[in-house]
Amino acid sequence: MQSAPLDTRYQIETPEGIDLPLRPAGLLPRALAFAFDLGVRALAMGIFLVPLALLGNIGIGLGSLLLFLVSWWYMVLFEVLNQGCSPGKQVMGLRVVQDDGTPVGWSASLIRNLLRFVDMLPFGYFFGAVSCLQHPHFKRLGDLAAGTLVIYREQPLARPKVPQAAPLGLPFALHLGEQRAILGFAERQGELSAERVHELASILATPLQVPAAHAAEQLNGVARGLLGPT
Amino acid sequence: MRLSDSSVVIRPRTPWEAMDLGVLMARKHRWLLVASWAIVSLPVFIVLSAAFWKYPSTAMLLFWWLKPAFDRLPLYILSRALFGETPSLRQAVRQWPRLLKGQLLSSLIWRRLSLSRSFVMPVSQLEGLDGDARQKRLGVLLQRNGGASRWLTLLGMCLEITLWFGAMALFYLFIPQQIELDWDWQRLAQATGSQALWLEHMSNAFYALILAFWEPIYVACGFSLYLNRRTVLEAWDLELVFRRLRERLGSVAPLLLLAAGLMLMPCSRPAIADGANPPKPVSTHAASQSIKTLLEKPPFKNPETVTRYRFGEEKPALKNRARGDGKLPAWLQALLDNFNGTSFKQLAQGLEVLLWSVLAGGVALLIWRYRDWLRTFVSRRRPRKPDTALPVPTQLFGLAVGIETLPDDIASAAEQLWPTQPREALGLLYRGLLSRLLHDFNLPLTNADTEGQVLERIQHVQQPDLLAFSNDLTRHWQNLAYGHRLPPALTQQQLCSDWRSLFNAGAAQ
Repeated sequence: MQSAPLDTRYQIETPEGIDLPLRPAGLLPRALAFAFDLGVRALAMGIFLVPLALLGNIGIGLGSLLLFLVSWWYMVLFEVLNQGCSPGKQVMGLRVVQDDGTPVGWSASLIRNLLRFVDMLPFGYFFGAVSCLQHPHFKRLGDLAAGTLVIYREQPLARPKVPQAAPLGLPFALHLGEQRAILGFAERQGELSAERVHELASILATPLQVPAAHAAEQLNGVARGLLGPT
Repeated sequence: MRLSDSSVVIRPRTPWEAMDLGVLMARKHRWLLVASWAIVSLPVFIVLSAAFWKYPSTAMLLFWWLKPAFDRLPLYILSRALFGETPSLRQAVRQWPRLLKGQLLSSLIWRRLSLSRSFVMPVSQLEGLDGDARQKRLGVLLQRNGGASRWLTLLGMCLEITLWFGAMALFYLFIPQQIELDWDWQRLAQATGSQALWLEHMSNAFYALILAFWEPIYVACGFSLYLNRRTVLEAWDLELVFRRLRERLGSVAPLLLLAAGLMLMPCSRPAIADGANPPKPVSTHAASQSIKTLLEKPPFKNPETVTRYRFGEEKPALKNRARGDGKLPAWLQALLDNFNGTSFKQLAQGLEVLLWSVLAGGVALLIWRYRDWLRTFVSRRRPRKPDTALPVPTQLFGLAVGIETLPDDIASAAEQLWPTQPREALGLLYRGLLSRLLHDFNLPLTNADTEGQVLERIQHVQQPDLLAFSNDLTRHWQNLAYGHRLPPALTQQQLCSDWRSLFNAGAAQ
């Protein structure tokens, strides 16, 4: 292929030369997060409005204030004060950041949420959905205007299990990606069928100078060696 | 299939990310996918609409029901494009009849309502599995990502409906105003006969158009979900790297063979930093114990004892609160009763007044804060225009023009003066004119004005009588003052009578 392969990653390089891979989130998880937020807001309004309705004029006044606060500030307050996560985004594991990966601020959050009303045109997020499906980083119009990005949060990883084997060194140097692949081979053996493990390992049997039957064991040893003492 | 030819980055992703990849794939081949879908599906839609012209809902239901048959084409295109063999539009459409063979009935009948339709479609179409083999395969595939695929279909349904209504609303908004339409919702809902049929078929057409946009994305999302599941199951990403590694090493193999043979053996056992003379073996337990004791010592932990005074226990507050809790219902009841009373209505009004005044204050503060800015950029007036009235001068070119310095009846006084002191008489008239201009007509005369400038200003007043008289008087005054030429006696009389008709008549009115 002449063009770069498609990927869902969004690379940022910091001034220190560090690559930060962000993973922009598409329409479907965002739609679910929005539906969740909508439900939360409806529930909150229901809970607060019923007692307020008993209070007559003052209740109507306070209810209107609350309605204003919930419909215009719910997203903004949560996004700015809760590290870019409204409750729905929290549930779906999403987060709003600026285009350069820094936390979202007041102005950006206000712009992206005020422009929801453009995204909603002409019916139920029509423009927002089309823009989300067409943009390479899944931005809706509000995101485009505010320069923000919705990404997947980094989830804490469980410690992977590497099979027991005697640590091994290799006579040739490995690139970072290759080291990762060998580690991944050792970590993911539980999910793969035995035949597939054998098949994968036998690819490297020749360079490892071992018979194909022992290649998996050998690779586990290399992985242990790469991992270092634990 | 050669993984190294893949046009997407293969690595295990979360289900949502996998679907995002599908959106990207559909985006990359958007034109091909939409066009091929439209070419295949729109004729069918037209035929259905014509066949069921009387029953638009049936036509739409049938069209919707046939979606799996159309879906095969985008899946074919995407699967070819994945390995860089993107077919042209003509090739793709020509393939469609061939793609319809095989499990078409089952996909249209009992598998039609499956929620993970797009996820399992590649199994029958691309792998060509059927019967038990297919069931077994699905059992493995659906162990994970099955939930995500069901969400995909559910959300896809919502999205279809949203986009459908959105497209219709957009169409309605774009109807020019010149076309008089008195559509309202009630009329549309109650419309009957041929008009209603026409409207329903139009909305069906919008659905067909929206499907051309969305359905390839749906298929692509299901396909990428399937790819991701297989990537996880079969570790495609690892295979890819391993093959590349073997290729890389293969090119330097002859050298390596020797080196590997020499080095792999000694490396195999003591690979980890075991020195030539190993130190006494330390058990993990003992090691962690010693590490812990080390960590407790000063460089890592610096315990510090702080002594300070505190007030007594904080129990009383807790007790108070507990007592308060007990009384709460009655108190709340009383408060709720009170809320309907007038005092709270006043409170509400007070609150309203407060909020409005805060708003007004805020606006005022804002205007005050940006007053210079507003004056510079918004104000229509010239910024330096002196808008305070100048003090009325009491003297103009050395002539006293204050009202108190003039006699009441200037014309008579001038007439009396003419025979003896003609200079004073004419001067009196001129002073009187200036005084009237200043006080009656509010002309902004200043001490620096010349007689000519005064005349120019009089022109702005737009009173022809006054202007003629002023011209006359000024001319005679200048002749007398600078040329020492007395006006003829007839003119003297004329000036006085003109004065009377001008000012005394005005005063009389």
